[in-house]
Parts: sequence; structure tokens; C-alpha cells
Amino acid sequence: MFACIYIPDFPVEAIVRAEPLLRARAVAVLEGKPPVVRVVSINEKARRLGIKTGMTKLQAAIFAAPGEHSTAILRQRSMEREASAHSALLDVAHAFTPRVEDTAATMLLLDLAGLERLHGAPTQMARALALRVSLVGLKANVALATNPDAAMHAARGFRGVTLIPAGKEAQRLGALPLAVLLDAFQTSASNNSPADSDREKQREQMLDTLDRWGVRNFRTLALLPEHALASRLGEAGARLRQLARGAGMRTLVLCEPASRFEEAMELEFPVETIEPLAFILNRLLEQLCARLEARAFAAQELHLRLQLERRVTDAETLAAQDLSNDSHNVRQAEHSLRLPVATRDAKVFLKLLQLELAAHPPGAPVTKVSITAKPAPPRPAQRGLFLPISPETEKLEITLARISAVVGERRAGIAGLLDSHRPDSFRMDRFMTTSEESKHTKHPTASYIGKQPSLALRLFRPAWQLRVRLVEGRPVTLTAVATPSDRAGLRGRIVWSAGPWCSSGDWWSENGKLESAGKDQSRPWNREEWDVALANGNDGGVALYRIYRDPASGRWFADASYD
Amino acid sequence: MPSVATLRAHLESSLPESLSSTLLMRERAAPLMVSSGVAAIDALTGGLPRGALTEISGPDSSGRTGVMMTALAGATHRQEMCALVDASDSFDPASAATTGVDLDRLLWVRCNDMLQRKSGALSAGLGRLEQVLKVTDLLLQAGGFGMVVLDLGDIAPECARRVPLASWFRFRRAVEPTATMLLLVEQEPCAKTCASLVVRLEREAVCAHEIWTPRKGERVVAGGESGVPENNAVSHAALLRGMWVRAEMVRCSAPSRAQETIGWDTRWMQGKPVQPAGVNFELRATW
Repeated sequence: MFACIYIPDFPVEAIVRAEPLLRARAVAVLEGKPPVVRVVSINEKARRLGIKTGMTKLQAAIFAAPGEHSTAILRQRSMEREASAHSALLDVAHAFTPRVEDTAATMLLLDLAGLERLHGAPTQMARALALRVSLVGLKANVALATNPDAAMHAARGFRGVTLIPAGKEAQRLGALPLAVLLDAFQTSASNNSPADSDREKQREQMLDTLDRWGVRNFRTLALLPEHALASRLGEAGARLRQLARGAGMRTLVLCEPASRFEEAMELEFPVETIEPLAFILNRLLEQLCARLEARAFAAQELHLRLQLERRVTDAETLAAQDLSNDSHNVRQAEHSLRLPVATRDAKVFLKLLQLELAAHPPGAPVTKVSITAKPAPPRPAQRGLFLPISPETEKLEITLARISAVVGERRAGIAGLLDSHRPDSFRMDRFMTTSEESKHTKHPTASYIGKQPSLALRLFRPAWQLRVRLVEGRPVTLTAVATPSDRAGLRGRIVWSAGPWCSSGDWWSENGKLESAGKDQSRPWNREEWDVALANGNDGGVALYRIYRDPASGRWFADASYD
Repeated sequence: MPSVATLRAHLESSLPESLSSTLLMRERAAPLMVSSGVAAIDALTGGLPRGALTEISGPDSSGRTGVMMTALAGATHRQEMCALVDASDSFDPASAATTGVDLDRLLWVRCNDMLQRKSGALSAGLGRLEQVLKVTDLLLQAGGFGMVVLDLGDIAPECARRVPLASWFRFRRAVEPTATMLLLVEQEPCAKTCASLVVRLEREAVCAHEIWTPRKGERVVAGGESGVPENNAVSHAALLRGMWVRAEMVRCSAPSRAQETIGWDTRWMQGKPVQPAGVNFELRATW
């Protein structure tokens, strides 16, 4: 058993998929460069209004009065949307069976042999396929037959779901017009034909010849004698007769399932603010997540590419540029999201993208949006029964993005200790709730002691520069040169001191190389540390600080207090 | 004249059907107490309450950070996710790792005042406080954290007091139905009645000599000036060894546990200790 999924009026369907509100309206799709812009596809409602394919834009505009609900909507053809729709169709097919032929942009053939135990009877399979296609936003004709060509003709000729029992092909297909047969014949033989114009010419000639013979549907063609037909129309004639009888069998040319999930939309008018862009992102993400779900995937990585409107500052420069070379001057903004766990929740992605765009605005009006998802296996929903509470991963990601918007980039996360004796050496890592590997790679000192609470340091970032008076090599008074406005000044008499503790490191590094690399963590350091108790105020209070002297510059700093 | 409690009991018993359950005062269950990691503080307070706000206050060098990190070490050891909202960006990851904090389970949020300084609209301290409040709101809304710590230890008390009481009340209400411990580290108590437990820390003495280290449980006699030992010759052997800290419970809204723990049957009155109750403990340097 073979199935065929056919999307009639595909350019219209691709646009309606991106803008579902247009489903209830008459839509006509235009193509071409002004002044030769013509209607290339229309839906049933537009057909009823009187719009026909091949009309000029001006002729179609008569049916599209602005502001009136009953009139038609004219849209420019979008190859991006058609590509996305076709990819979605392929995802649906590959989720159903691995044996799929990508016959055309509008049509797929599926081999359903052996799938009865998985998907049920052929009727159920046909309905399930139609339902799955509708879930990705497309309206399709689905037909099942014992051979791929019969299924293809039935999908092209009959609306909705069609099931042709074995042996009834000629009977069911008999009433279909010959145009359906010739269209399908051209589609299946398109790889061998030299050019579109030649194929169209051959089709018109064949149709005209058969019409003059009085052959206008499948049934009359199937009744013609094979030898006589072959002698007049050649091999194509015999093949057409065989197809009209619903007979014959061929092998499907199978295609590989795509490993790339991308949804794109070209905007008719540039979008300048994030709020309207969010609606577009939401739509694209919903489509993307539906495709991922159809293939039982989730996404851990998401890439957003925004094509920005080119800002023209010099009119002469613009005039000098060739319009056909615009693609070389396209400005783009790219954003990437990387989640700790795979998900296909469009709302989570949308919120994260909104926060990302709020933190890094595109800087120019957006003309095209493209979202690519890297597929990953979905995470198991079941967690351990006795695990302690932890934040929900998706919710936590949004919270972290919001926190970053408040405190700044890379100021919220996990402090990872570096393998160095340099004071305050750490790196900020991403905070994750499901860090399975971290359980095995803990810092050696990270084991819980739990016996004796220990003294801790409170660091001053950056260290405060001090003026220190020494007596016999020991500090006796100190005064901070400058302290933050909200902190009490650090000054007073040192009532107790211990030190110095001399330490240095990274003196073996080459200064030039490291400075060019811009790595502060690798610059040489040298310090003489003192622990001091400083009498502050008149109440006799004492606070403990760690101060140090930089031998290279001779300057003193306070970098921490003991607490 | 009948008391308010008598009138209330009479009304509730006579109109059980008419009164909505939302109008009735519900008996609040005693919070679940969790060890703070410091045995002396556990003995004093019964531990830290879950679903409540706890304040640990004290001046500089009074052991607040050591207690905070010990509590975080305990929470991360229980495999709970924790968050530290660091108002002054003063957290030392090395100290935390030495204390036993599992850094992989600690979300460290480093507040700064760069944005506010750029706009010039707010003073630096208030800007950081605003960040602390916003971040805390977000963390509590997200939920799932075993402990959320607000470190205001370097914020001047006059700045910390500017935080509206409504914020603390909101935080308390946010954590009440959860198992999250909200810990506030500061110089002076500022959450007032929103805090279920307030512990005040003061430094008793500084230990700089090995031979000076007192025995455990013994009352420490401050050596030298202001609890600091007499100055000594310059020597590496005289580096800081630790300090003794005195903890006093200023407020506890759940006294029963503490009473049971310490046996102060007669020292409590309306949820407050009649006389300051304190314990001493040592924070030992681990380097």
C-alpha cells in the first residue's frame, strides 16, 4: 500500500501556514518583478471570487479592496515559507514511515507496507496522515492505493482523504480529467526533461491531441488500444494508458530525513520593535516545535538569524550599486540559545528569545527572520522519587535570563575554582540543575566537613588602595585612598598584625603574549600579605582585614575582610 | 469585659457555617527546622526554619559569613539547590569550597551598581539593593531552591533600612508555603517582624597563637585590646587561626523548639527571650 500527500495551491498554503488568520480569507499569491507581476496561486475562496491564475496584479487588485473582509488578500510569493512548509511535510512523512519519496515540493509518496500493526487499517492510516499534516498547519489531500502512481493521481484529483481498494484503480480514477494525469506524468518525469518551457509545450500538445480524439478523462484513455496509441504517441502514450488504468508499479526514490530544522519568514514590511517581532517568533517557534514533535525530537540549541534593513547613508553609493548584488550587503544579527536540557516548549523558547533580544537589540529594522533548531532526544520526564527539590529547568532558564537582564551578562552562575594559588581566581560557569557530570568532578575540597565551622573571607572587588604607615617594617596605621560611596571608610590604627606571607605566581608567563590574549588570570602576580586588626571608630570595635603590598609598585591594598 | 480571644472563640463557635474559612485564623504549623551546620546555633535556636525568613546580623568580622557558608554547605550537602544574592560582590568561592559548599549547587548572583551609576538616577547602594530585591523576587517565583541567601553584609544599615517592609513581607509570604529557607545576612536587623528568627553575632576573641586556642566549651577571655591578642613579633607562625563568636537570639517566632532544646521554660515571654540568651562557638581558619 502506498500513500500520497498532495498540497493543492501550495504557495497559498505556505503563506496561510505562517499566517493562520488568512485561512478564512480569499488569498492570491503574486510572483514576478514589476511591472510583470502575475497571480501564480489562489485558494478556493479566491477562485469563487473570480480571481484566476495568470492575472496581473492590477487585475487581481480589483478583488482586493482594503478593509473589507469578503475581498481577497494579495501576497507576494515567499520561497522561504514554501521551503519551510515542504520541510514540515517531510517531517510528518518521516515520522510516519522511513520510506518516503520526495516527489515534488507539493507532493510526497509514502510506502506503507507493513505498517498496519503500527498505525492500523489503511483507512485509519489515511486519516492519521491527514491529521498530522493539518497539525503542522497545512491542508492536504491524502490518497492510498496499491501503487504509487494511482495514489498520486487520486491525491491530485480528489479532495480530502481517498482510499482506493486493490483492483478498483481504473474504476475510481476513470472520471478524473486528463490534465491531472499529464500534470502527474510531468512531475514524475521532470528529472529527464530539459526545461520547464519544453515540458509545458509537450503537455499542451498532448492534451490538445487527446482532446481532438475525444479523450478527456482516464476512462476513455484506458479504453484505447495500446499498440495503436503507442504508434501515434510513442512510448509516452503507452505509459499514459497504463497510468490511466491505474496499473503498473515502480520503485520509490527514497530520501533521507533532514537533520536540520529551520523555519524562516520574509517580512513584507520591516519590523522595528521587539513586540511585533515576538508574534512572528511565536508563530515560527510553534511551527518548529510541531515539526520537532512530529519527529519525536526536542531542541537544546536554537539559532535566531535576523536579516536587517540596510541603512543607506549615501544616495550616490546606493545608485552605484547593482540591485542584483544586494545579497552581498545584507546585514544580519545572530543570536544563539543553548539550554541545559532539550525541550520543545515554544513558550520557553519565545521568552528566552525575547529576553535575549531585549538585552541585545538588533539595531535596525528586521526584514527576515530565520530560526534553526538543533534536534536532540527529549529528556525523560520521570525523575527520582527521593531526589531533593530543585527548580524546574525551563523555568530556571527564564529566571536566569531575567536575572542577567538585571545584574548584567555573566554575573549569575556557578563559581568554578581555577587550579591556581592566585587570590580570587575563579570563572563563572552556567548554572544548571541537571549537572550529572558535576557529581563526579567535584573540587577536592568540596566535600562537606560538617564538624567545625570555618572562618570566611569577604572580598573587596576591586581591592581598595591604601596608605599604610610602617614602623619597624610593620603596618601601624592605614587609610583607604578611595572607598565606594556606600561603604564606611577604611582607616584607623592597627592593633594587631601578622605577616607578611609572601606569595607569587605566573612569573614564568610571557607578559607580551598574555597581554595580547587579554587574560588577566595569567598575568604574573606577587604580594606580601598581612592579616591586621583595625580599630575603627570610638566604640572600641575591631575588624579583621587582609591587606597586601605589591612589591612591584610598592602600593598597598586591602582585598578582603575576615568574617 | 471579655478578652479579644474569648470573643473570637465565641464568634467562631456560634457561627461556624456563616464564617468563610478564609476569614478564620489558621493555626500555623511549626516550621521544619534544619541544622545550620553550627552546633552552638542549633542548640540556641533549634536550627534554621524552612519556609521562613531568618536574619543573621552582626558587625564586620563577627562571623556572619562563616555561619552563612556553613549553612550553605549543609544545604548543598543535602543536594539542595541554593542561591546567593550577593549585594556587594564579596563572595569568596575559595572560602566557600573550603567550608564545604558544593559550588555546583550554588547559584551566585553578583549585583553591581554599574547600570545605576551610568544613569546617575540612584545612589550606588540603593541601586544594588534594588537589584537584590528584584533578583530575590525572581528566585522565589522560580521556586525549587532549598536556601536563598541575601548577603547585605557590606551594605550600610541606613541603606538596608530603606528597603520597604512590604518587600520583606512579600518575601516571607512567598517562602511560607515552600521548603525554602530565606537567609538574610546584614549588619543590623531590618526585616522586623517578617523575620521568624533573628540571630545576632559578635566577635569575642581572635586566635592568633596555637598555644592560645582555648578548649571547646570554655568561656573565652578576650586577650589584649578589644578581644585581640597582644601584638607579636613578625612571624608566619602568628597568622590568624580563627576567632570566637558569641551568638544571641534576638527574636524567634517559634520558641517551642528552642525551649525544648535549651530548656528555657521560664525565660520566654510573647515569643521573645526575657534576657539575651547566647552561646559561644569558634570559627577556625582552615588555611
